[in-house]
Amino acid sequence: MFVPHSSLDLNVIFDELDISSLDELFKHIPDDLLIKNGLDVEDSLSELEATKYFEDISNKNRNNLICFAGGGHYDVYLPPTVKSLTMRPEFMTSYTPYQAEISQGILQVLFEFQSLVCDLTEMELANASLYDGATSVAEAISVAINKTKRDSVVISSGFNPNTKEVVNTLIDKSKFDLNYIPLSDYLFPEDYEFTDEDAAFVVSFPHYEGSAQDLSNLVKKAQSKGVITICYVDPSMLGVLKTPGSMGFDIVVAEGQSIGTPLSFGGPTVGWFATKKDLARLVPGRIIGETIDNNHKKTYVMTLRAREQDIRREKASSNICTNQTLNAIGSAIHLSWMGPEGIYQVGYQAIQKAIYMKSQLIEKGFNVINNKSSLREFIVETTLPAKKIISEMGNRGFLAGIEYSENLLLVALTEKRTKDEIDNYVKQFSEVNNG
Amino acid sequence: MVSGGNASSLPLVGGASEPTIRELSRPGRRASKYPKLDVPEVDFNHPAMKNEKAPLPEVSEHDLVMHYSRLAHRNFAVDLGFYPLGSCTMKYNPRFADYVASLGAYSNTHPATPSEFTQGTLEILNILESYLTEITGMDVASFQPPAGASGELTGLLIIKKYLENQNLSNKTEIIVPDSAHGTNPASARMAGFKVVEVATDDRGMVNIDDLHSKVNENTAGLMLTNPNTGGLFEEEILTISNIIHEAGGLLYYDGANLNAIVGVCRPGDMGFDIVHSNLHKTFATPHGGGGPGSGPVAVKSFLKEYLPGPIVEKSDTNFYWYTPENSIGRMHGYHGNFLVALRALVYMKLLGKEGLDTLGSYAVLNARYLSSKVSKYLPLAYNEPCMHEFVATVKDLKKSHKIKAYDVGKALLDKGFHSPTIYFPLIVEEALMFEPTETQTVETLDDLAESIQHIIEELCAPGVNLTDYPKNLPVGRPNELIPAKHLTVHWGDFELLELTE
Repeated sequence: MFVPHSSLDLNVIFDELDISSLDELFKHIPDDLLIKNGLDVEDSLSELEATKYFEDISNKNRNNLICFAGGGHYDVYLPPTVKSLTMRPEFMTSYTPYQAEISQGILQVLFEFQSLVCDLTEMELANASLYDGATSVAEAISVAINKTKRDSVVISSGFNPNTKEVVNTLIDKSKFDLNYIPLSDYLFPEDYEFTDEDAAFVVSFPHYEGSAQDLSNLVKKAQSKGVITICYVDPSMLGVLKTPGSMGFDIVVAEGQSIGTPLSFGGPTVGWFATKKDLARLVPGRIIGETIDNNHKKTYVMTLRAREQDIRREKASSNICTNQTLNAIGSAIHLSWMGPEGIYQVGYQAIQKAIYMKSQLIEKGFNVINNKSSLREFIVETTLPAKKIISEMGNRGFLAGIEYSENLLLVALTEKRTKDEIDNYVKQFSEVNNG
Repeated sequence: MVSGGNASSLPLVGGASEPTIRELSRPGRRASKYPKLDVPEVDFNHPAMKNEKAPLPEVSEHDLVMHYSRLAHRNFAVDLGFYPLGSCTMKYNPRFADYVASLGAYSNTHPATPSEFTQGTLEILNILESYLTEITGMDVASFQPPAGASGELTGLLIIKKYLENQNLSNKTEIIVPDSAHGTNPASARMAGFKVVEVATDDRGMVNIDDLHSKVNENTAGLMLTNPNTGGLFEEEILTISNIIHEAGGLLYYDGANLNAIVGVCRPGDMGFDIVHSNLHKTFATPHGGGGPGSGPVAVKSFLKEYLPGPIVEKSDTNFYWYTPENSIGRMHGYHGNFLVALRALVYMKLLGKEGLDTLGSYAVLNARYLSSKVSKYLPLAYNEPCMHEFVATVKDLKKSHKIKAYDVGKALLDKGFHSPTIYFPLIVEEALMFEPTETQTVETLDDLAESIQHIIEELCAPGVNLTDYPKNLPVGRPNELIPAKHLTVHWGDFELLELTE
C-alpha cells in the first residue's frame, strides 16, 4: 500500500538494477540477520475496515466528559477556522524550512508566531517552539545554568507534579541542586531571600494551585543577586493577567496547548520560549529571522544556527531538532483569530465563571481553600477521597478536576463552561460527596 | 518528462511579498465572537491582573483566512512534489490517518482523565507497542519521548541509570561515529557522557580497528544507526555489538534510518539493547513543517524497569498505567505525542503484514534505482550498494567549475523538487544526500535524475552566475548575516535597523 509500482514498473527497475527479485537487494546483509518468514502482524485493513476498527476502540473512551480539569491543559474553544488553516497540507506535510526560498510560508508564520508570543508576554525574542510546557521549563533552567555558571536552582513547588518530574529527569541532579520552595498560603513567599549561588528562580504564573500574585518584587530581589528569572505562564490568561515582561522576567515559558491545539490527551501540544535578546545565543531550538534576499526583497530564514545540534554537535545549546512547528502555527493563527478582545473574553469569562462556581460550592458548604487568591482554577476540599469523587463524577458525565491530594480537588474553568454545566456540576458534586 | 512528483506547475502568482498579520491589522476589526457572560458578573480586583488589552492583531476572519492560505501557497510540501531530503523520510502521509486522529474521543480528551475513562486510548498505545516491538525486535516500549532527539536522550539516560545500578559509574564514555547525526553527540553530552568519536573506513562503515582502540573499561555504550548516515548497511554489525557488549557497554539504535529495514531485519537481532523510532519518518505521520514528531523508545526486557513512565500494561480485564521501578523519570508532561502515535498505528494497520513485510524492500529499491540514475551524472560517495538513501558528491564540479552542493540544491528547487540534504554526513565533501522513499513513482525518480543532468549542464555553461539560483521562487537567496548579527527576530526589528543604518 502506498507503493506505486505496477509489475511493469518493477520490470523497468529490476532491469536497471540487473536483479530479478526484491531479495537480491540484500545480498550484502548477513544471512542470519534477515527476517525469514515475515513479521508476526495481522493482515492489512482497508480504510472502510479501519474506520470501524478505530471507531470501535475510540468508543471505549468515555467521550464528551464535560471538562473541569486544567493543570496546564485547558478546554478553550478552538474554532474550526483555526484548525482547518493549521491543517493545510502545505504546512502539515513539509519539514523544517532548511531551504528558505521554497519555505517562505512556514518561515513567515513562525516569524509571526515568535512576534505574537513576544507581544503577548512583552519579551524580545521567542523561538519557534519546544516540545511542551514541562520540557520548556527544563530547557529554560539549562539556559540559566549556562548563563550564570551557578549550580543551584530555586524552583517553586507550585508546579504540576508531572512538570517537576520532567525537570528532575532533565536537570542532572549529580551536578545541580533543585531547591523546591513550598508555597505559603498558596503563594510564593514574598520574603524569600535569594543568594548569589542561585542560577535561576523558576515560578509558575498562576501557580499550579490556581492562585496568583504580582511577582515583580520577587523578580527584582532575585535579579539583584544575578539570578535568571523564569516565568511559566498560562498563555490563555494573558488577555487579563500582567505580562511576565512587565514583571521583569528574563525568560518566559508556557504550555501552549490552550492556544491553537485541542486537548489531544496532552500531545502533541507546544512549548513556548521567549526571552531578552542578551540571552539569544543560549536559546534552544529554531529561531526565524527577517532579512532580505539577493534582490533586496523581504525574506525570512532560520537564524543563529550556530547554536544548533546539526552544526555544533556536542557543544550545542540543546539536542532539540524536530520540534512542534505545526502547533506553533496553530498558536499564531488562534491568537490572530482571537485578537485583543477575544483573548480578553477567554480570560475574563473564565475568572467570572470560577467566581460563580466557587460561590455556589461555598453555598453548599464546601471549603474552597484558596478562594481569594485564585483566578480561573482553585482547590476544593472533598469529603470522600478525591480519586473516588473523580470516578463518580465521571460516571455522571463530568471530568471533575485533577486530584491535588487525597481530599483536595483542583478544578478549572474556561470560557466554554456554561452556567447550566456549572450548576449541574455543583449539584452532582454535592450528591457524590454526601455519599 | 511528465511525472507526478514535479511541482514546477505551481501557480505562484506575481512577485510581491506577503504582508505580516500585524500589517493587515486595523483597530476595531475582529474575527472572534464569544457568548455573552451567562453567570452574574461581579466586580473584582486581583493584584495579578492588568488593565490594558493584549496587543494582538485585529483582522476580519476573511483577511485572516486569506493571509494564512497565501502563506501556505508559499511553501513546498510532500503533498506538492518530490521531497528527497535525505535522512528525513519524506514519504506520503495518508490523509486517512488524519481523519482517525480527529475523532473527538481521541483528540478532545484531557490528559489528566483517569484510565477508567480512557481505555480506548490506552488500548491504542498497547497495540502500537506490539507492532513496534515486533518490527524492531525489542520487548517493551514507552511513548513518552516527543521526538527522535528526546528518544536518544531517553536511551542514554537509561544506559546511565542502568550502569549506575550495576555500580559501573566509571563508564562515562559514549562512542558515536563521525558520520552520526548532530543530535547523537548533543544528546550524549546532555546525559552527562563524554563523547568519543569512532572513524569511518574507506567503504563508509564503522572502522573496526578504530573501534577496538576506542573501546575500554570506561565505555558505556555505542550510538549507531543502521543503515548508517551514508545509507550503507553496517555489514560488521554483529562484530560491533560483540565488541561493545564484551566491554560491558550497551548498544543504542538511532531509528532515523529504520525505514530501510522494516520487514528486512531487526535492530534487536543485531544486538541493540535500546531503539528509538521516529514515527514521523518511518510510519508516515506528517512532519508539520518541523514537528510534531514522536520518538518512542523500545528496550529489551532487562531494561524495562528503567523506561520513562508511566507505560501501558494490560491485565485480564483492562489496560492500566504502570510506572517502572527504576524509571529515569518523565520525558514529557503527559504521555508524549499521542495523536502522532495514533496516526502511526493507523498507517501500520493499513499496511498490514503484506505492506510491512515489504516496506524496507521498496524503500531500498527506489533508492537503489535513483542512485543508479543519478550516478550517471554525479559520483557517489561510496562504491557500495545503498539502502534507503545514498550520498553523491559535487567535489569534482567544485574543483572544475566552483559549483557547490549548495548550488545544485538551489537549482533543483527551480525544477519543482525539494533539495536533497546538503553537507551531510559531514565526512563527505560537498555531499548531496537523497532519500526517495517507497512512495515515489519510477517516472518521478527519472524526472529528478534528468533534472540533475540539466542542472549540471546549465550551471557549467560559461557566464553563469551561481548566486542567481533559484530564479523561479518567491524569493532568491537570503542574506543570512543580517538576522544573525542584528537579531531581527520580531516584527519591527528589521524596519528599526533600516532607520538606524
